[in-house]
Amino acid sequence: MKEKFDRGTALTIFKNDRAEDFTALLVSLAIAFLVYVFVK
Amino acid sequence: MYPGGVTSRIMTRSTANQPGRFTAMIYTKKPPWTLIMGVIMAGYGYMVSTGAMEPLIKFLGTAKLTGEMSQLGYIFGGIAIVVGLWQLLATPKQGQADYYLSTIAGVIFIMLIAFVVKWGLDPLMAVWGKAARPSLGFDFASMLNLNYVVMGIIAGIIVVNVFKVPEWAQNGVRLSRLGLKTGVILLGALYSLAELQQLGKLSVVLIGFFVLGSVWLVLWMGARRKIPNSMGGVLAAGLGVCGVSASVASAPVVQAKSSEIAYTIGTILLWGILMMFIFPIVGKAMGMGPIQFGAWAGTGILNSAQVAGAALAFQPDGIETLKVAEIFNITRVLFLPIIVLWLATWYVKRETTAAKVSLGQVIIGKFPVFVLGFILMFALSSTGVFAPAQHYQGKFFDNSEAKMTKTGKDGKVTSKLLKDEEVATLQAEAEKVQREDQKAALARLIENKKAMSIDDDTTLRGLANAKVLSKEGNEVLKKAHGAVYHTAAKIAMFRDLIAWFFTFGLVGLGMQITMASIKQAGGQPLVIGTVVGTVKAVGSLIVVLLFVSETI
Repeated sequence: MKEKFDRGTALTIFKNDRAEDFTALLVSLAIAFLVYVFVK
Repeated sequence: MYPGGVTSRIMTRSTANQPGRFTAMIYTKKPPWTLIMGVIMAGYGYMVSTGAMEPLIKFLGTAKLTGEMSQLGYIFGGIAIVVGLWQLLATPKQGQADYYLSTIAGVIFIMLIAFVVKWGLDPLMAVWGKAARPSLGFDFASMLNLNYVVMGIIAGIIVVNVFKVPEWAQNGVRLSRLGLKTGVILLGALYSLAELQQLGKLSVVLIGFFVLGSVWLVLWMGARRKIPNSMGGVLAAGLGVCGVSASVASAPVVQAKSSEIAYTIGTILLWGILMMFIFPIVGKAMGMGPIQFGAWAGTGILNSAQVAGAALAFQPDGIETLKVAEIFNITRVLFLPIIVLWLATWYVKRETTAAKVSLGQVIIGKFPVFVLGFILMFALSSTGVFAPAQHYQGKFFDNSEAKMTKTGKDGKVTSKLLKDEEVATLQAEAEKVQREDQKAALARLIENKKAMSIDDDTTLRGLANAKVLSKEGNEVLKKAHGAVYHTAAKIAMFRDLIAWFFTFGLVGLGMQITMASIKQAGGQPLVIGTVVGTVKAVGSLIVVLLFVSETI
């Protein structure tokens, strides 16, 4: 797969692990916010 | 920790530096598969909600899943139809929108496989396993642990190695690791301080012993077998701490070559995959519970993704095992700075040519942020935003007036207080109780018709478990407990979401387990990895069985 992408690696769309980690953190915080607001 | 694309990253970087190596790339593909998958998902959701699938659902025994079948069918089906239409009708141009939106096809592809496995294959195997039991003498589905987690990973491995991941789905498959990391961070919301204190102490002792022991064993074996110090160092971090990320983090301090990192990753992946399938079977055969198995998997398996896979494979219908396993896993990651420091000192002593590297920069630059995210989510949850801070496994005590009434669907309000006849049952049997604390708690229950504190509730549960009262009396005690203990809806929602994030991540993980990545293992690293991995797995099993009880 690796030759097919000009960004990220064969295993991730992100340029490095740190970017992936921060995205996971942002996604998690967004989900937590939605759960907090919408789940009664 | 997570299977990192170290070798591929190295190759990509080296070739990417050549001017003109890459031409403009359009990631969005035109085939109508996203749209077709969307129609299938939405159609299935519709058929489930109208009852058209009832005979099949009845046969498979999946009635309790109908809610998520219709909801997720509509949600993912809707997204896929919209994106699928856009892909067919629009002309994609190179850029961010093309890059990120093109991942949705792969996400839908993984989810479709996850749906088929979780709602179809998993219950089908359970039915067949039971049906074949009289003739075979055993339930093959249960014995081989054929649940949706195991079958999802196997499905992913088959897809990538037999059929190849379709080109239109390849970009999205690269999001599976993000799914796993998100699941780990969200998991932080589920722990209460009480759980973390108990599991934390246990995990620090157990993990500390096995991490330090594994690193020492690798370095010792490496010296005996005369492998280069750089190879020994990177292998020690990989086998000792948390797999791939630890190898990457330690590589600069021991000046490891790309090939040495690749060997280490291959060894860790091969070992991790084997253990992911073997651990749950052994755990079930030995009658382990969630805490024992979680502690064992979190200690004995080398890589985070495989720890999660084994824990969910062991207990696919709940996440208690996953919670325990992840605490051990996170504790292991927290040892990373210590190990990097150790390896740096060790390497400098052995290599006179060792270049000076900034340890602080290595640790700050490579420490996985998602671990901090987990701690942040736990801290957030501890403030009581998702459930009262004293909740335990998503349940909490509240005997306030508001919580002691229940409003039915018809708007009718009923009280959860004990009824007069139930109080009379307890009064009639009160003299059977001998212990003073139980007598006092029971007297308060009789007087107030509800448990008056957490301590009272705990004492009364003890009384019920001791079966001092008659069956009717114990039923009343159970009812009184149920009335003051409530499930936190937000925590329940987190549980469902986390299970799906891990399912998505693990099916996608299977699609990244190629024969080429496994073939990276070999030679001395494989020999050392096999010895150390076996010692760690067997040693942690013995320690867990001896010292970890099923209650905390």
